[in-house]
Amino acid sequence: MSPRQVVVRLLLLATIAVAALVLSVRVGAVSMTTMGVLEAIGGEGDPASIAIVRQLRLPRAVVASLVGAALAASGATFQALLRNPLAEPYILGVSGGAAVGAVGAIVLGIATRATWIVPAAAFVGAIVAVLTVLRIAASVGRSLDTRVLLLAGVVVGSFFNACILLALTLTDAESFRSAIFWMMGSFAGASWTSAGIFTAYFVPALALLVALGRPLNLMAIGEETAAHLGASVETVKLLAYGTASLLTAAAVAVSGVIGFVGLIIPHVIRIAWGGDYRFLIPASALLGAAFLVSADSIARIAAAPTELPVGVVTAFVGVPFFVWLLRRRAV
Amino acid sequence: MPLPVLPVMGRTGFLLIGFRGPLAGSQLPTRVAAMLLWLLVGCGEPDSGSGEAVRIVPADSAVQAVDDAGRLVRLPRPARRIVSLLPATTETLVALGAADLLVGRTDYDDPSLAHLPSVGGGLTPSVEVLTSLQPDLVIAWEESGAARVRPRLEAVGIPVFAVATQDTAAVFANVERLGALTGMRLEADSLAGWMRSELRAVARSVADRPAVDVLYMIGVDPPMVAGPNVFIGEILEVAGGRNVFEDVAAPSPHVSLEEIVRRAPEVVLIPSTGASSASLERLRREPGWRELFESGDTRFHTLPPDILHRPGPSIVDAARVLRDAIHSESARPR
Repeated sequence: MSPRQVVVRLLLLATIAVAALVLSVRVGAVSMTTMGVLEAIGGEGDPASIAIVRQLRLPRAVVASLVGAALAASGATFQALLRNPLAEPYILGVSGGAAVGAVGAIVLGIATRATWIVPAAAFVGAIVAVLTVLRIAASVGRSLDTRVLLLAGVVVGSFFNACILLALTLTDAESFRSAIFWMMGSFAGASWTSAGIFTAYFVPALALLVALGRPLNLMAIGEETAAHLGASVETVKLLAYGTASLLTAAAVAVSGVIGFVGLIIPHVIRIAWGGDYRFLIPASALLGAAFLVSADSIARIAAAPTELPVGVVTAFVGVPFFVWLLRRRAV
Repeated sequence: MPLPVLPVMGRTGFLLIGFRGPLAGSQLPTRVAAMLLWLLVGCGEPDSGSGEAVRIVPADSAVQAVDDAGRLVRLPRPARRIVSLLPATTETLVALGAADLLVGRTDYDDPSLAHLPSVGGGLTPSVEVLTSLQPDLVIAWEESGAARVRPRLEAVGIPVFAVATQDTAAVFANVERLGALTGMRLEADSLAGWMRSELRAVARSVADRPAVDVLYMIGVDPPMVAGPNVFIGEILEVAGGRNVFEDVAAPSPHVSLEEIVRRAPEVVLIPSTGASSASLERLRREPGWRELFESGDTRFHTLPPDILHRPGPSIVDAARVLRDAIHSESARPR
């Protein structure tokens, strides 16, 4: 891929992402004209329309695209580090840890005190899970062994699932329902505050992952080779695991667990344009943003005024497309 | 991760979901008519609930009430554009005569409100649609878990009155508070008085009969029963029943089948929709339940949940339905 091709393809993906974001602000459970939406963005028209566009649709579209970008970029990173096509952002137990945090806050009844408590608890839970997994892996060998990491992720995840089931069994039905809603994942709670906090987090993390593109290329071949070719393997691993996990933890905190994006989007880019991580990570971020914001639009309007869980849409739309892509490439 | 089966029940959350049924819809006008009759005849006893004198609120004066989240909800003038996200409070507003103040409905309200735009489910409404309706009051369920609806509505400037109705006292409190917020205190007092007198009438009609041991199933699989502190448990007592789980503290605890068999209820009440006979047939074959069925000492009744699971004015109908079910055997000559 020539540098010119890279630029053209990234610009194409960026255009798609922006178009998806604009469309997402345009559509919703309340039908508005394009003119009406534009006026509302400018602060004209009736107060209800202004509130809908400025306070509900815009922050939600922004959060959905940032989370999509974050999940796809960290998914690509995990696939490089673990050299496993099934690797995804939640593989080191982030989802289980976040769920334990969120469900714990809900079950203990502290969740109602302020809106930030559940995201904060989810974030802390996710970090605890990742640290536990990394600690287990570090205690087994001198360096982080990918097989040990994968296994540690699986067992820690299972343990957290058991904790969630225990908490749900012992709680009342009301908290039970709240917890289940949280675990289904949604952008319904998005606000400018959450968009702002997530952006502050997202920008440096993504920049770091993009910067790690070259060493990740080497890592994807094999750690020994990478070491021979001059990469400081342990530093890269620590940086990449840490950044991708933190990014995923933040994403889970704002939106709950949304599957499929982090697994499939990097594969789509890889199948279409090859597996150079210097390109793959930014491209995955852009396509992830476009995909998730579109999925959220569909989730909001398909059965309006009822909202579908966005994870349902990502799977229903993404799986057939991905199967088609796989078959096309195989022929 | 494997997700457990999604229940649609809350502490009294099962009450919120409600079911569409022709019964409830057709009963609302009847209830208003009955209430008017009660007013005309003037057979009401003085309302013990509110000591203060009835005050008619001018249309432009501020109104206020404390909601179940413990916050003082204050409106500059009585609410004139209301969305109630709970069938029970919707029903209360309709019974107050405030049906024309409703500007939206949920998917679970009575068919009589079908002309209004829907905001989706009561617990998962579309905030966007709610905002577009420009309500000056939204009545929502007070979530014990992560609050999803209230902060989002308040962020766009819509006042939210949160309710978490648990017992009959709360049902009457809702009548009073919704009356205050709509500037309809007089109507609220009449409605509450009418409900009290109807409940008394039901209690009187079974006063001379021995109490019957009743098990009220909120859910069948896994078994979930009504405790004594939830309104349906209280109505059960009004209707001449004795809750076999009157010693539990939780409003709607999960109990083991073994415990049910041990407590040997004389009557088992199962609120159930269309598929009721099928679920009853399935129950009839299950170990534990089978023995209860075959013993002949226990009677099973299925009942329409749309009346029984709404902590609003329908508790009056619930009391009658429960009385008829509980005492159907003793009413018949053996």
